[in-house]
Amino acid sequence: MEDEVIIGLEVHVRLLTKTKLFCSCENREVEEPNTNVCPICMGFPGTKPMLNEKAIELAALAALALNCKINKTFSFSRKVYFYPDLPKNFQITQYDAPIGIEGELMLLKAGRKIRIRRVHVEEDPARLVHVGGDITSASYALVDYNRSGMPLIEIVTEPDLKTPAEAREAVATLALVLGHIGVCDPSAESAIRVDANISLAGGKRVEIKNITGFANVEKALLFEIARQKQLRAMHIEIEQETRHFDEIKKTTSSLRTKESEEDYGYIFEPDLLTYHITDSMISSLAPALEELPSKRISRLISKYQIPENYARIIIYEGKNFADFFEHTADIFEDRIMLAKWSVGDLLKCLNYNRIDVSQAKITPQSYAEFLSMIKSGEITERLGKELIKEFVATGADPRRLAERYKNENFENLDLTQVIEATIKENPKAVEDYRKGNQKALQFLIGKVLEKTNNTADPKKIRDMLNARVAQ
Amino acid sequence: MQAAYAPFISVAESIRFEITPQSLLPGVPVAVKDNICTKGMRTTAGSKILENYVPPFDATVVEKAKKEGAGIVGKTAMDEFGFGTFSTNCAFGVPKNPLDPERSCGGSSGGSAGAVAAFKLPIVSIAESTGGSITCPAAFTGTVGITPTYGLVSRWGLVDYANSLDKIGTIGKSVYDAALLLSVIAGYDEKDATSLRTQNTDYTAFAKPDGKKLRVGLPKEYFSSAVDSGIVKEVEMLADRLNSLGFELEQVSLPSTELAIPTYYIISMSEASTNLAKFSGLRYGLQLEFDEKQNIEEYFTKVRTEGFGEEAKRRIILGTFTRMAGYKDRYYLKALKIRKRIINEFKQAFAKVDVLLAPAMPILPPKFSEIEKLEPAQVYMMDILTVAPNMAGMPTVALPIGRINGLPVSVQVIADHLQEGKAIQMASIIEGLNGR
Repeated sequence: MEDEVIIGLEVHVRLLTKTKLFCSCENREVEEPNTNVCPICMGFPGTKPMLNEKAIELAALAALALNCKINKTFSFSRKVYFYPDLPKNFQITQYDAPIGIEGELMLLKAGRKIRIRRVHVEEDPARLVHVGGDITSASYALVDYNRSGMPLIEIVTEPDLKTPAEAREAVATLALVLGHIGVCDPSAESAIRVDANISLAGGKRVEIKNITGFANVEKALLFEIARQKQLRAMHIEIEQETRHFDEIKKTTSSLRTKESEEDYGYIFEPDLLTYHITDSMISSLAPALEELPSKRISRLISKYQIPENYARIIIYEGKNFADFFEHTADIFEDRIMLAKWSVGDLLKCLNYNRIDVSQAKITPQSYAEFLSMIKSGEITERLGKELIKEFVATGADPRRLAERYKNENFENLDLTQVIEATIKENPKAVEDYRKGNQKALQFLIGKVLEKTNNTADPKKIRDMLNARVAQ
Repeated sequence: MQAAYAPFISVAESIRFEITPQSLLPGVPVAVKDNICTKGMRTTAGSKILENYVPPFDATVVEKAKKEGAGIVGKTAMDEFGFGTFSTNCAFGVPKNPLDPERSCGGSSGGSAGAVAAFKLPIVSIAESTGGSITCPAAFTGTVGITPTYGLVSRWGLVDYANSLDKIGTIGKSVYDAALLLSVIAGYDEKDATSLRTQNTDYTAFAKPDGKKLRVGLPKEYFSSAVDSGIVKEVEMLADRLNSLGFELEQVSLPSTELAIPTYYIISMSEASTNLAKFSGLRYGLQLEFDEKQNIEEYFTKVRTEGFGEEAKRRIILGTFTRMAGYKDRYYLKALKIRKRIINEFKQAFAKVDVLLAPAMPILPPKFSEIEKLEPAQVYMMDILTVAPNMAGMPTVALPIGRINGLPVSVQVIADHLQEGKAIQMASIIEGLNGR
């Protein structure tokens, strides 16, 4: 009999605020280590935290989006543990009254809802840079405090997930939902980090720490299930422990075994107050909730009259992509053409370059110009498909791109000569076509286009070929 | 003075006064307790583990004093992180009482009071109290100490002992001096979330031996047999005198007083044990040689074993215990509930009277030879008269009212939250009586 798998997740999401949770340092990744820091986020003796209320707003928004009950009065606690990434050796987090409790998340592929246990706010520890290996093999580690004090929410699910694929879907869905309502930017590095708890029915619980990337969540769990099942088959007891996922080897390895539950000795954070979420704050969050993916899909369909499958793809690409679509739709009238190009070639090129649309140098204006060049016949659709690659990769002006392309290749191209050459080179196809084979015509048109680097109009080629072959 | 009484851990090499015609403290020397950060000047909190900590910023109180033309003359000796009653738990020498060098200045702000008592100069001190650390040394040195309402003075720049209890206050030679310094350092500070949004107040306006007759409460629990009978007698004589001057006197009861000591130590140690976690040798604390064979926990342990004094270790262990799962309900959470009860009892008393008058300390300043014989629990009992008002966050003025065998006897005047003015006014009246 197959062992039942029980998975619960702790998902850490970096909030999209301007500044850190308790100081005025910027809340963004800075490359040079230890330059985005101040005495507060480095925990200097004598400093005190000052709460960034925007973080509370975003956390409340996330909790509402996940259908949580909101704790309107809440406070912070100190979670004490000694670890080199914690400058104070305690983390300011929420323990007794998290901002949200008892929520839910709909998983479309799995076709069911999972329960959310809690949503709470906490500060991010520093980043450890392991030198000469990963956490298990490095010869030493460096500490970069740039990340210390960045605002996070931790979303804890109930152990309702049954497969690694469901776990992946849960994380991806959270990213989608929270991205659209502006709680986080899932495209940013390490914006979402996952701790996965997994056990086989009747077995001890293993925690895999700090997994980044949706696919890695699935891979780490697949490996871990296989490992646990193997142990079970060999009648070896599974130890309660914390494990690390190696992204390269796709395996997990033991970090530390837990003899008992860790005792963090939580006390109330005495440097902060009891805070309140007011009804007016909750009502001010209502417009953001209108941006939830399901609502936004419906809006896209009705507002732009585009097919549902396009709307769905646009929304599932995330907030940045959907915003880009809508900003372009404001200035480009043929929304169906826009949607088709967006979910087709635009997306393909972004994925090829492994960038988010916000990282590409294209703008809604330049994209609209590019599309209108195709629509007006200034460039062919085929050439468009060629040009968009460079357009997305470099963000260059599309009109200049097209001109350069034509100049470089076939500015004074004599289409008649190209057709003559093509006919000479493909006598068999010409013969077939004469016998009435339409495929042969398509083949010849393709060959001519190829020689013109897709700059010629296929209709014109067809007419000229027809005329020439009929002679 | 430093050679004779050792009030300072560090002394300023040079001082630059920023004086304008409007300065409130022009050229006034200010001594600062060594748990309050001074930019570019070593701040040890009396602990070896912080012997090399030079803060890159000034505490708000230091910044405010400098802005009014004062100069920081030095950092004063104290019990390590404030853990003590006699300033004997200091890693950098024990301050001696200028009234009798064989006796203690009290603690934990011992050096702050000692410096004020030692110099025949208009010197004032910025001190700090968690459970009585201003009232105690003021009483033992015959100086005046003001412990303000919790939140009146910004804690930005204070090296934490127990954040929900820590209050920066003042010590001076007179009620006026202490009130003047308080006027300078009090006020809202956005850098401290627990700071209260108050109007700037000139507390010297209350430091006059007249004004309307205040109603005075005598809390009977503060006159118990645990207090030296000579001290009780002096305070009762003062009460009689006030009565004869037309002050309305009323006996009040604060029944939870006997719970104050265990409650205070549970809360303060719980918080202290988390505050001291950062001193592990990674970013803060001693930087010792790292042995390749050690793991990080072993290194942390070595740093903490060498860096912390005995009392700090005791409080870390007790404070960790009282907040552990399984014990937290019985100790930490229960203490928080009793603290609320203690606050309510004070509030009820202040519905009837303006101020409470009580002995400041249960004993006269002891000799070091006597202190050595005390068990930790006996030392904790020295706080019996001060921890309740400190836990309730009530403003308190301690001042001398007489002498027994040449040693000072002091009272404390306690007022309701943010009623510093009343406590200062009452203290001034009492001060005026002594002058006559």
